[in-house]
Amino acid sequence: MDNLVDMNERDSLRIISEMIQKAKGSHFHENGTSAIMWGAVIGFCGIFGFLKRYYHWNIDFDEWTLALIAIIPQVYIGIKERRNRTVLSYEESAMNAVWLVYGISIFAMVFYLNVIPYATEQILSKSGRQLMMQFSDGRLEAYEPNALSPLSLLMIIYAFPTLVTGITRKFKPMVWGAIACYALFIISLFTTQTYDSLLNGLAAVGNWLLPGLILRTKYLKARKSMHV
Amino acid sequence: MFKELDPILHAQLRLAVVSLLIGVKEAEFTFIKEKTNATAGNLSVQIQKLKDAGYIEVTKQFVNNYPQTTCKITQQGIVAFEKYVAALQQYLNVNEAQK
Repeated sequence: MDNLVDMNERDSLRIISEMIQKAKGSHFHENGTSAIMWGAVIGFCGIFGFLKRYYHWNIDFDEWTLALIAIIPQVYIGIKERRNRTVLSYEESAMNAVWLVYGISIFAMVFYLNVIPYATEQILSKSGRQLMMQFSDGRLEAYEPNALSPLSLLMIIYAFPTLVTGITRKFKPMVWGAIACYALFIISLFTTQTYDSLLNGLAAVGNWLLPGLILRTKYLKARKSMHV
Repeated sequence: MFKELDPILHAQLRLAVVSLLIGVKEAEFTFIKEKTNATAGNLSVQIQKLKDAGYIEVTKQFVNNYPQTTCKITQQGIVAFEKYVAALQQYLNVNEAQK
């Protein structure tokens, strides 16, 4: 494109609409890497946690540590994607904000779930009180306060950014993944923590892993067609 | 009375750059170059003119030892573009009426 000034109003209009269309069609295509990674990690944590509890495996390993470790590759993926990005749309910028708030919320929630039992115990003991649990046979034991069905609560938060992204980007696998996540959340209200763990893993698979794989396939197809 | 078309915007490449930036939050020089099919030299000159007019904001940084130029439309640029489009509509309406 040169820089002639002797253009008429129709030329101007053509340039404007052509460029707006080009900007619209060139949004950065997410390659699905983050979704695949988180879907696989949380999926594994949930399913492994279920198997550990169900079969009473005596493994002294907290599988959720993996979720913490996964933050490191996520930071690397984020930096790499930012470097490779040549354009940032308003929509993508809003989506980034949604996922950032999600990250903070999930971190805050996990922090809450870990801190509350100890903090409550401390507060109670300072006032000379202690929570006790009475068994049906009359036994009385100290009860560690904790949030009931914490994995169900996590599932509500899992679904939130996925549904927003799915609706905004009109990406149906994410919409269905989030709906499945809500369904699993409802089921988890009536199951024990052992099965909650399994449902948590399945939620991660439906919420992120499957949409991520679909996204990845689309991305690779789009990249291939660009190089043909 | 016809509104005069903004001379900064009434040039093919500058108009293309602003039209492109109006639809995105920010874009790199390479992206604008690819979409406008302009040469790097010409594009640099026109970007500088838009920057001098206060229509766009230009950020230069080094990423992996390569220079990276990012452009972003300013509020002043948005207002100028809207005024340009409004003036354009006026011209188009008159042309349609004369047919």
